[in-house]
Amino acid sequence: MTTTPNPFRALGLPERPDLTDEQVRAAWRSIAAATHPDRPDGGDLARYTAASAAYAELRTPWGRSEAYADLADRAGDGPVTVPLPPVPGEAPPVPGEAPPVPPWQSLLALTQVPARIRSGRPLRLAIRALIAAGLALIVLQLIPGTPAAPADILGLILWFVLTGRKDLAPPPDR
Amino acid sequence: MSVWTWLKFVTFLWLLRKSLKLARWLVVLAAAVVAWPVTVIAGTGYAAAWLRGWPPVRVYRAAAWTLVVTAAWLAALEASDPGFLATREPGRAWGMGWDRFSVAGLARTFALLAPVALPAGLALAGLIWAWRIYAVTTGLGGIRASAPITFDTRQWKRQVRTAKGLTDAPGAVPLLGRGGRIPVGGTIRAIGHRWHPVLALPAAACARHMVIVGATGSGKTNLMIRLWAGWFTASLAAARTGRGHRPLLVVLDCKGGRDARRKADRTRRLLYGAGARRVAIWPDEARLCLWDLPPDELAVLLYQMIDSGTGAAAYYADVLQAVITLAVTAPCGPPLSTAAFLDRLNAKWLASAWGDGRHPAEAEHARAAARHLPDIQLRYTTLLARLGPALDGPGRLEEADAWYCILEGTRERSVAEAQAMALTELAAHTATSLDGEPRAMLLAADDYSAVSARVPLSNLYERGRSLGIGVQVSAQSWQGLGATEDERYRIAATADGGVFVLRTPHPEPLAALAGKRRVLETAHRLIGGAWGDEGTTREQRAWNADPDLVRRLKVGQACYIHHGAATFVHVARPKPSPLSLPPPPLAPPSLPPIEPEPVPRGEPASGPDPWPSPASLDDIFGPETPR
Repeated sequence: MTTTPNPFRALGLPERPDLTDEQVRAAWRSIAAATHPDRPDGGDLARYTAASAAYAELRTPWGRSEAYADLADRAGDGPVTVPLPPVPGEAPPVPGEAPPVPPWQSLLALTQVPARIRSGRPLRLAIRALIAAGLALIVLQLIPGTPAAPADILGLILWFVLTGRKDLAPPPDR
Repeated sequence: MSVWTWLKFVTFLWLLRKSLKLARWLVVLAAAVVAWPVTVIAGTGYAAAWLRGWPPVRVYRAAAWTLVVTAAWLAALEASDPGFLATREPGRAWGMGWDRFSVAGLARTFALLAPVALPAGLALAGLIWAWRIYAVTTGLGGIRASAPITFDTRQWKRQVRTAKGLTDAPGAVPLLGRGGRIPVGGTIRAIGHRWHPVLALPAAACARHMVIVGATGSGKTNLMIRLWAGWFTASLAAARTGRGHRPLLVVLDCKGGRDARRKADRTRRLLYGAGARRVAIWPDEARLCLWDLPPDELAVLLYQMIDSGTGAAAYYADVLQAVITLAVTAPCGPPLSTAAFLDRLNAKWLASAWGDGRHPAEAEHARAAARHLPDIQLRYTTLLARLGPALDGPGRLEEADAWYCILEGTRERSVAEAQAMALTELAAHTATSLDGEPRAMLLAADDYSAVSARVPLSNLYERGRSLGIGVQVSAQSWQGLGATEDERYRIAATADGGVFVLRTPHPEPLAALAGKRRVLETAHRLIGGAWGDEGTTREQRAWNADPDLVRRLKVGQACYIHHGAATFVHVARPKPSPLSLPPPPLAPPSLPPIEPEPVPRGEPASGPDPWPSPASLDDIFGPETPR
């Protein structure tokens, strides 16, 4: 159980459980060296004490795991592993029956697309997009105003979406 | 009939046959030229399928997708020219193409006809490719007798390359697929199973029983970690939506050693990315309490943990069991620690515990066993000392989302066996306990053969089935699955979640589970060095999971056997979505620079230390920091 309010913050580290021993140690060393009470300027005892306690908690992977879980418990966010509490006035979900997906869920997923592109293979996506755009321009040049033009362009968009989706990073819940 | 007449008749027949054949090809060529946009697309589709080792179904699916284009074109045509005149449009465009015979004209015609030519061409490509595969594999096609072998080898290489390319794509094989399925990797070849670009298992397959067999360095660890993370992600997603219980993964790494620690660390990082909060590594960082077990189960377990032998030793075994039962089920309650248990293996303690007058039979048993008690105590003192403090608590399985238990099966086999018994007992207790939160459990035993001498794998398997927990077992070879052929077969044949076979020297018994399929084999009459035009075709049986192919699998390639069919797959390295956790930490916090001169240390204070010290001052003033 975490004893320091937020040991990650005390060491100036991001709140995540997969930090390495070296990262925690480096953060601790820099704070300890700057705030140690034996320094000629007297250091910063309060900060040193907080950092010491935080380091004692976070120095092992299991300790980080515990501290992270405790923080998530307190905050009520993060990667929750317990069933979500039911909304007051609403019936709890029946096991075996998936709750309805809110209509804005797909829009929410769209907001993640830029991040998924950045974390995926943006260069390949760009090449695909260029090919699709180039072919679309050629189609518009060759058969402007014909019923086949929008259909061909739809085909190119379809090709881009179907072949390009694997170049995106997976969404956060996968 | 004279010889000359007979020769003329034979020559005539030969010429007739050849002319008919030529005429057939000319008709095909004429059709290909006339319907050139369809030919272009069919040729491209065929070439793509040939080069990438796609099955025909992949081309058919592409053709089905292009029907969207056709539908859009029909809709646009109907909107611009009502009256269902669409049928005339392709003919008009085609005719215009011949009138303007230039590159631009051909390109224009192609663009105009693409909405119709795309599905037609791709469907045709699929049909031709399917016929080509059929002709070559049955021996009807090909120039040389070795054509089926060459074709298969070449196609395998291409299928591997395509599957690997797909596996390397960041979004193709996530930890969790659509519909809660667990993607494993790019499909190389599916025989009997429905082909999908990515092999994805339903999460329920992992919640049942699964066997994984592969030699060291074949990619078994990668596959197992992927399955664990996939199962965890799927179960967690189901729990969040109220469709299941919170997952609890228990991994028994029965080989131990440094590799196990690395694997544990990798598994933990992946599970964090998948949404786990607490991932415990036993016995390095977390402990479990054996003494939390109900007294009856605890007594049986403690008895089984000691190797009591057979024959004359059976007498001693009975005494041992009686003493353990007396010590654990005493009226004052079960022991709460190792020390408390060892204290009870004492004649005086047992006599006082059972000597309340209400248990005369037990008191008599305690008196009768008194002379054996020092021996029994010595044996348990030795055993529990070797087991170490990791089973002496505090800690319960349900306190974490996942436990990675490292058993030193290679170094200390007897200790690891006892630990494995204790851990499986704790897992079984957690699964059946009614007072705690119900959990979806997966018990994975990696290289269980290292500790299976005293607890046969089949016991673990059958136990898991009766308790409703998924059991996943891995071994390095078929022989590692059990002590006898019967036991091995029982384990493999009852794996209703499927069997993964990676490179292993003796895959035949496992490959046999995939069964065989009917194939056609054609024999040709040879005239000199060339094939004649006569021959026979007969039905043969071929392995679905060819053992020779399995023996030659490369690192990361696996064969999934399920329901009498096989799918070869290139397993993707498991990685959580980079968006699931906050961005990686930046540089260490910027702090004012420290003066290089040594920091004077004060005299030690007489009272308590005014500030808490880190466990090792080397952390602050280590060798790299000037003192």
